[in-house]
Amino acid sequence: MSDGTAHAVNKKRRRFLIGSTTLVGAAGAAGAAVPFVGSWNPSARALAAGAPITIDISRLSPGQLLGPMPEWRGKPVYIFRREEEALENLRTRTDHLADPESEEAGQQPEYCQNEFRSIRPEIMVMVGLCTHLGCAPLMAPEVQPQDYDPDWTGGFFCPCHGSKFDLAGRVYSGVPAPDNLVVPPHFYESDNVVVVGLDGENS
Amino acid sequence: MSEFDSNSSAMDTKSKNGLMAWIDARLPVTKTIEKHMTKYYAPKNFNVWYVFGIIATVVLVNQLLTGIWLTMNYVPSADGAFASVEYIMRDVDFGWVLRYMHSTGASAFFAVVYLHMFRALMYGSYRKPRELIWIFGMTIFLALMAEGFMGYVLPWGNMSYWGANVIVSLFGAIPFIGESLMTWIQGDFLISGATLNRFFALHVVALPLVLVFLVFLHLLALHEVGSNNPDGIEIKEKKDDKGIPLDGIPFHPYYTVHDTVAVVVFLFVFCVIMFFMPEMGGYFLEYANFTEANNLATPEHIAPVWYFTPFYSMLRAVTYPLFGIDAKFWGLVVMAAAIAILFVLPWLDKSPVKSIRYKGWYSRIALLLFVVSFIILGVLGVWAPTEGRAKLAQLCTVLYFAYFIAMPWYTRKEATKLPPERVTGRFITIPQLILSLVIIGAMVFLPLKAVAAEAGVELEHVTLDLEDKESLQSGAQTFINYCMGCHSAGYSRYNRVAADLGIPEELMEEYMLFNEDTAIGDLMVSSMSKELGNNAFGVAPPDLTLVARARGTDWLYGYLTGFYADESRPFGVNNRVFPNVAMPNILEGLQGVQHCEDAGHCEHLVHVDGTGTLSEEEFEDVIYNLVNFLYYLGEPSRLDRHRIGGYVLLFLSFLWVFAWLLNREYWKDVGH
Repeated sequence: MSDGTAHAVNKKRRRFLIGSTTLVGAAGAAGAAVPFVGSWNPSARALAAGAPITIDISRLSPGQLLGPMPEWRGKPVYIFRREEEALENLRTRTDHLADPESEEAGQQPEYCQNEFRSIRPEIMVMVGLCTHLGCAPLMAPEVQPQDYDPDWTGGFFCPCHGSKFDLAGRVYSGVPAPDNLVVPPHFYESDNVVVVGLDGENS
Repeated sequence: MSEFDSNSSAMDTKSKNGLMAWIDARLPVTKTIEKHMTKYYAPKNFNVWYVFGIIATVVLVNQLLTGIWLTMNYVPSADGAFASVEYIMRDVDFGWVLRYMHSTGASAFFAVVYLHMFRALMYGSYRKPRELIWIFGMTIFLALMAEGFMGYVLPWGNMSYWGANVIVSLFGAIPFIGESLMTWIQGDFLISGATLNRFFALHVVALPLVLVFLVFLHLLALHEVGSNNPDGIEIKEKKDDKGIPLDGIPFHPYYTVHDTVAVVVFLFVFCVIMFFMPEMGGYFLEYANFTEANNLATPEHIAPVWYFTPFYSMLRAVTYPLFGIDAKFWGLVVMAAAIAILFVLPWLDKSPVKSIRYKGWYSRIALLLFVVSFIILGVLGVWAPTEGRAKLAQLCTVLYFAYFIAMPWYTRKEATKLPPERVTGRFITIPQLILSLVIIGAMVFLPLKAVAAEAGVELEHVTLDLEDKESLQSGAQTFINYCMGCHSAGYSRYNRVAADLGIPEELMEEYMLFNEDTAIGDLMVSSMSKELGNNAFGVAPPDLTLVARARGTDWLYGYLTGFYADESRPFGVNNRVFPNVAMPNILEGLQGVQHCEDAGHCEHLVHVDGTGTLSEEEFEDVIYNLVNFLYYLGEPSRLDRHRIGGYVLLFLSFLWVFAWLLNREYWKDVGH
């Protein structure tokens, strides 16, 4: 090309064209990335599997979790009944708890941010996964001394790393778990039917 | 030259400072960039034929990326494969985009590679010293054919299945060992889940590695000897005092900006196909492949995907036994030879010149006949065989081989022109180009027209409208009330249909979900079990999710309106479009009874007055809505596809303007 006529290179124009073409090209690359990134979202199948569930709680027996264990988005849902004595304990014995007032938002819907962390005081609905590393805590509802706590007033004990929670799922202070157990969005369709996964009329 | 010098010296200074120097001392980054980009001197007279290499690379990257993403949801098992593809198409966010990028990419890959190979044939790019480039290229082609074939099996549609069956059976044609070789390849006595799994492993892991490695070798060899050009002369023979070819320009920036324009144009064409005609009329995605693999029923018309059809035609063209071995084996030999002979091409061409520009008329006519016969073979391979077509295929097979076998003779015999000392620009004038295309077109079209003509039942064309929500809702209701008693739409979910058709979920739950245990997010599975269906009709009612894609909507409309009374059938009805169908006319209560006027053809069906609760027009509306719904059901993302496609094309046009301006700016430097 050396035989071509000499001409001055307009560097500014070139820089502008390189910049603008790169910019538009980069926007295109970002657009092309959308399907790749988007396809990692939960699919319609996952969403259908994670849809709200309807649970009949008429078969709740005192001192026990509702069985067979309901599942919401693949997580165990603990549902159990609390008697008057247990409620009294929840109301008064709060000095050993990390977050007795349930102030940490996101651990429960607003309508469960109360002293019993529930819609109906006697019925507790929560996700049975420890907020430490996701093990399923064991239920020990009786007020009786335990190996892990001589002053046990009933609650949940996580066998993995020894975190302790009371019967409202509130975490003890001085254990590995940082937060109270999660209360999922839920509402009562009727006296004996609870829907987990939706706020229902509570919203 | 001054611009280039300042460019490269800028690179040198950069490499001397700080981080770059540190890296360069340990890894030859700057050196590699210079060798392959900024100081790789390519002939300045590349024409449009020289863009297909880079485009093939773009397609390769597309296939690798979308392929990796597809494996994230694909299930490589005989039970799960077909359903998982539909899962990707429906349930995975943007899954259909990824799938169509991959399926369109497969066809694009072959289209681009064929054009790339044709370029090499025209300009003699396979000639010394580029024999290895050509051989690596042909190996890529071979690996690509294996990759394409195995990839086509993975969706586990009925065409996948029977295509695989035909190809694997080829190995059975090998004398003595054939039978056991076939069983070994299949890992079973038929194409089965075991075959699918090994094809998956090869398609997804082994062959891509081979392909990428071969592409690497192809490029390494190319950059060692340098690119050929349309004049077929060596630019390295004329260098300036710095040792730079006088007709060479640095690949970067000149050809990077040039190729960017070409890539954008290619992407435009690619996206037109991908977003607006991903099936490409049944050539990219075959209709029969929307039915799940069935080892007991071959599709009515079986054809490989278009990119294999030239070779498939040659396979079929061999109908004579030889040396006591049957034609089946010789068909395989001819097909294998058609590919093998390409490898020795560099040693068949004895011409003193490389490019078709300076070769004589023998070479030109030979190339013309070769291209024409290759295209004709391709078209014939899609069509069902007839006697006339078989003869034409045999003629074209002979012409295909004649191009190679006679090459040593005609390239020596003909009078050639003396190539110029230095490269030149456009050679062929526009009228000459048009004339050439017309000649090729006529030579392809006329012989094919002579053997064309296929007849079937005439179908009325129905124009459907996916924007007509009312029609779709009504069709959905008919489908759920009448069809779903026996048929499932087992790849579709109720809530997706509700959302797409604008049906409130509460209404859907109340009026369209009959079973207490069925949730709105469930798949639309009929409560009739497969065994019960088998017993009642002698055949299980097929899933209807994809029936519109497998059969076509005109067919569906003709079928659903095509029942007529026929006492010889178990349910007292037969069908004009689907003779001897097992299904009763479920809509007879609405439609009433029809009679066939002209026994045998049943072109016209006559309605019996006073039968059926609906008038003919009302009934046609019901069927129209039902077919419209089935059309929607076949591909629920169709409207999204069109909408997004529009934006993508708009964007690409915009990008093209910038790329074109940038290219024009740089090419001001290059004199002719």
